[in-house]
Amino acid sequence: MKIQLLLVILLGLILPPAFSQEPSKIKFGKLTPSDFEPTVYSVDSSASAVIIADIGSTEIVGNQKGSFSLVFKNFRRARVLNKNGYDLADVEIRIYDDGRNEEDLVSLKAVTYNLENGKIVETKLDVKSAVFKDRISKNLVIKKFTFPNIKEGSIIEYEYKLNSDFIFNLQPWSFQGAYPRLWSEYNVSMPEFYYYVTLAQGYQPFFIKDRKDRRDNFVYTDNSSIQTNRETFSCGVTDYRWAMKDVPALKEESFTSTISNHIAKLEFQLAEIRQPFTPKPIMGSWASACKEMLDDEDFGLQLTKDNGWLNDVMNEATGGAKNAVEKAQHIFSYLRDNMTCTNYNRIYAEKNLRTVLKSRNGSEAEINLLLTAMLKKADLDAEPVLLSTRSHGYTYTMYPLMDRFNYVISRLNIDGKEYYLDASQPRMGFGRLGYECYNGHARVVNMEATPVELSADSLMETKITSVFIINDSTGNYDGLLQQTPGYYESNSIRNRIKEKGREDFFNDFKKGWMGEVEMTKGKIDSLDKFEYPLAINYNFRMKIDKEDLLYVNPMFTEGIKENPFKSAQRYYPVEMPYAIDEVYLLRLDVPKGYVVDELPRQLMLKLNEEDDGMFEYRISESNGIISMRSRLRIKRAYFLPEEYDMLREFFNYVVKKHNEQIVFKKKP
Amino acid sequence: MSRLIILVILSLYTLAVEAGDGDYAIFKISPALMKGANAVIRQQDTRLEISSTSKMVYKNHYVITILNENADDLAEFYMWYDKLRHINSAEGFLYDMMGKQLKKMKFKDLEDRTGSSDNLIDDSRYKRHNFYYKVYPYTIEYFVEVEYKSTMTFPAWQPQRKEFVSVVHSTFTVDCPDNYQYRYKVVKYSGEPAKKTEKGRVESTWEVNNLAAIIREPLAPSWIELTPNVKFAPNDFQIENYQGNMVDWNSFGKFISLLNKDRDKLPDNVRKTVHELTDGLPDREKIERLYKYMQKNTRYVSIQLGIGGLQPFDATFVATNGYGDCKALSNYMYSLLKEAGIQSCYTLVNSGPAAAEVDKDFPADYFNHIILCVPLKNDSIWLECTSQILATGYLSDHTDNRLVLLVNDKGGTLVRTPRYSIKDNLEIRNIKAILKQDGTLNVKAGTHYTALQQDQIHYLINTEANNKIKEHLHEQLDFATYDIDRFDYKQNPGLIPSIDETLDITVKNYATITGKRLFIVPNVMTRTHQKFSADSTRKYDIVFNMEYQDVDSVEIEIPKGYEAESMPRDVSVKSQYGAYSCSVKLSGNKLYYYRSIERFSGRFPAASYDDLRLFYEAVYKADRNRVVLVKNEQLKAF
Repeated sequence: MKIQLLLVILLGLILPPAFSQEPSKIKFGKLTPSDFEPTVYSVDSSASAVIIADIGSTEIVGNQKGSFSLVFKNFRRARVLNKNGYDLADVEIRIYDDGRNEEDLVSLKAVTYNLENGKIVETKLDVKSAVFKDRISKNLVIKKFTFPNIKEGSIIEYEYKLNSDFIFNLQPWSFQGAYPRLWSEYNVSMPEFYYYVTLAQGYQPFFIKDRKDRRDNFVYTDNSSIQTNRETFSCGVTDYRWAMKDVPALKEESFTSTISNHIAKLEFQLAEIRQPFTPKPIMGSWASACKEMLDDEDFGLQLTKDNGWLNDVMNEATGGAKNAVEKAQHIFSYLRDNMTCTNYNRIYAEKNLRTVLKSRNGSEAEINLLLTAMLKKADLDAEPVLLSTRSHGYTYTMYPLMDRFNYVISRLNIDGKEYYLDASQPRMGFGRLGYECYNGHARVVNMEATPVELSADSLMETKITSVFIINDSTGNYDGLLQQTPGYYESNSIRNRIKEKGREDFFNDFKKGWMGEVEMTKGKIDSLDKFEYPLAINYNFRMKIDKEDLLYVNPMFTEGIKENPFKSAQRYYPVEMPYAIDEVYLLRLDVPKGYVVDELPRQLMLKLNEEDDGMFEYRISESNGIISMRSRLRIKRAYFLPEEYDMLREFFNYVVKKHNEQIVFKKKP
Repeated sequence: MSRLIILVILSLYTLAVEAGDGDYAIFKISPALMKGANAVIRQQDTRLEISSTSKMVYKNHYVITILNENADDLAEFYMWYDKLRHINSAEGFLYDMMGKQLKKMKFKDLEDRTGSSDNLIDDSRYKRHNFYYKVYPYTIEYFVEVEYKSTMTFPAWQPQRKEFVSVVHSTFTVDCPDNYQYRYKVVKYSGEPAKKTEKGRVESTWEVNNLAAIIREPLAPSWIELTPNVKFAPNDFQIENYQGNMVDWNSFGKFISLLNKDRDKLPDNVRKTVHELTDGLPDREKIERLYKYMQKNTRYVSIQLGIGGLQPFDATFVATNGYGDCKALSNYMYSLLKEAGIQSCYTLVNSGPAAAEVDKDFPADYFNHIILCVPLKNDSIWLECTSQILATGYLSDHTDNRLVLLVNDKGGTLVRTPRYSIKDNLEIRNIKAILKQDGTLNVKAGTHYTALQQDQIHYLINTEANNKIKEHLHEQLDFATYDIDRFDYKQNPGLIPSIDETLDITVKNYATITGKRLFIVPNVMTRTHQKFSADSTRKYDIVFNMEYQDVDSVEIEIPKGYEAESMPRDVSVKSQYGAYSCSVKLSGNKLYYYRSIERFSGRFPAASYDDLRLFYEAVYKADRNRVVLVKNEQLKAF
């Protein structure tokens, strides 16, 4: 839904190409002293560095292995304006490796230019000795280097070619990033025989968006057999050209799923192989993609096997279960409590499930596939679900792009009731998912490829606090606080108590109180019932200074003291992890020997006409007892940038009310 | 520089026989050692077998019972290696609570990982393993053997690795030829090591038994002072083809200067520039100019390969590429100064605000960083060469007030870097503010920060763009909803650098205005967040390294027609930890507030913990004192 919206915005803003001097004429090494003149650039006067030109292209050419390769070229010129921009001098190039064959980085050149006494002085990167290779994982190698002789004002340029035999890996292009770009351009020549779907996102207009058709000859040879086969043919090619001009930097602010959802960017997905080759869908449909997953040795096949090795552990895990739900709960908690999740962000099992169980560790995909296998073994209706976590970015409902997913959970159906399960997160309740999983569209991996919507708007974090305070015999206050935090807050308290202990938790609670407060009988219920929120309560005694006037904030420790929306402006949507509903109730004795002199005014506030949020602050006195109620409810988690001011102002009122005081006056 | 200290190595091998089933059963641990523990080190036997100055073998065998998930990190096995360290073998076992063996780990099961993280490149890698068992308690056992091609750094032995861990039995053995010399020093350990002499070799063994788990309280002294430990250092040692000796500081300095020998040659164009910049100037001026030149033309990039972990890239490399690590940049600065006729000393330091103190009576390799010292007639000038932003001669809390090793051709000398005192570390703030009818406060705040109190802001304003600084201010300031209308910084470099900050801020609803009253906290910007929990059983001394003083003067103009209803009393608190006072008065339609706090540094006895708690409790409360004003009756109609 969100994605479609973004696409519309993007397409709506395309401008016709203008006839100005095109920065794409910038060429490697062609500089004049005047290039060093600007001290600020109008695109962003506070930038520490600017990317003057970032120009890339991808071509598809025949190779000598009987197929085609991608040739990606990138040229970039940037200007470092001050020391804060020095990080631009460190460059990393990611190289894919499938275990047999790795992408080939060739003709790397990098030069630093400084202006010294009116003359341009070049310092070249020593490509032989100063480019380092670091193997990060089986499939990823990083080549890195740093530009020599960097100073404030330096211009740096690099250029390289990356040859790739992995035709699915057509390099994406980011038009936007941490530094502003004066010119960013990507050219892709797509021959008819490979059809790629182009995916665009962001809020920036294209300066150029162009396509031209032509014909070209393609040659490929096969040297693998004894006899060399050489094939030549002619076919149509489309040259695409996209460019943006003066693109501002985009920085991450709070309440953002991930900034990579918002930058201007193009990505490409191989969808079909076409004539003159035997036509073959690559991307296919959701159903075919899911079928492929189901038939995959590292995914679905592990679930449908007999899995006889599970028998022992099944008996251990499900012993004593009286019905299907209990059986499922036992299996779930057995895995959650015995397995250690060592990697998140996986969608395939890298080990077989038997090894996973035996070694007691695995990725979240392995653990939840194992969970699914065990549930199936217990004759329950369980299926794996693919999703992308918030920090990994949105997925597209339209295209079955499996690499957009990074997480596997399990869906269980018992008598028509659905449970979403994640056994990879410590202390996660049965039927609960972390809020990171609520990122919109997800897919059940079954023959129907059932779409599922896991929306942050559907999560409601409900918190209830009640405080009872009465006068004791000595004229001081005696109180009781009871609180049920929301589910996610409860979970984070559980983790914290596990780490630092209960005492530490109550100590902090106590630090929240001003003045002399004595806390007793601190109690936390449901600490081990992971499905439920916690119930916290404690008694306290508060000394009352017998002054003529007493000022009491009726929110005590529970007031919201800070506006969560700090920045004055917002350039992209607010994505909170969940909706909230927080209720605070107070019953307070007027201190002995005092009367109420002033009470805060009552307030009822609506966020907007649609009632997406409300704040209620009611307070009254009757027979020496003050009753008060504060309720803050925000019904959705996603807000457009236009709604930001409204949210900020709304919270401003909340903070203000939560800071108000009751005034008691000594009886004459 | 990451490699000057070879990290304390956690593992070695012994001839100990494999444990039979049941030896590691949980019930064999005495209740006293279970108390307050998350893990129990059942046994650890470490051996260092030295063959020569260029070869030693490190063997470790350890058995740890993990009682709950808070100690899971101790179940992780890892071992670093690089060109100078080779892992010969490793083996591991997992036992259940009854001591029954559940699993085995062989060398081939180890995972291999890159060790470069912040460094651009680094040849170190590590191997790791974990049984990932979660049924508590359980026990892990590992054997590992590592061969070192250098004897420069010995592992230290501190059997109790951290808080909440008890130790049943632990030994450390050094086995070396009888003519091999090394030194050791014990802390919280009494008695002599057990000695065995055989066939021209001497074996010395230190041993502890039954150490109960302890908690390291906040502000406690460094860990090394709290539990028994022995540190070791060689006399003669070798690393690659370099021979050294560290029997005294002078010899160690000689070794370092050997590594640096002939690395100070500058290219002709740089030499020329040095003369153009400095000829004819007085020394101080020369230093200032060259330091700025270095800052402008270089940056910090870390590359650590082989001996490069210890030996700087030469000055020509830095001149050509414009980068280097702390060693290379300090050596480069040294070379620039030398060209200008000024002698300076390459200086080894253990950096960081809470770094362990160098023991002057026990020469060893404590160091992880390099700076430069320029001895002048009256005073020395200290230069941090990895920073492009620090003022000439200022060190910050990264390297201040500690023993460091000065190196020159003649050898090494231990000296102390400058200490920044309470007179140096200031935050003087003047606020003029206007309160509007709706509770909005318009604040103009001018703050003068000096020395250590300016470090954070100095870093911020020199490394971040304006919008980032603003973002940071948005996080730092302690107001509910506010806008920063203007901010400005003026830097005053010097041996005691200072920064003048000007902020214009609009704070919505700063004051609460009800029907007839106005509530306002006159301490607008300097409220302490420090609070300490009561603790009647404080065990360790309290340590504060930094001392400082803050002074706030606030003038708030309030809407007309109010008079005081409740004014906080003046507060004045004094303790061995510091002195605090504040006062507020209303005069006409202006509130005048004054606050001063001095916080002393030093080491304070555990018994004085409650003084500390009460001091901060008083400050915390007084900082939030509220003025209540009420509408003047005569003007009520208005």
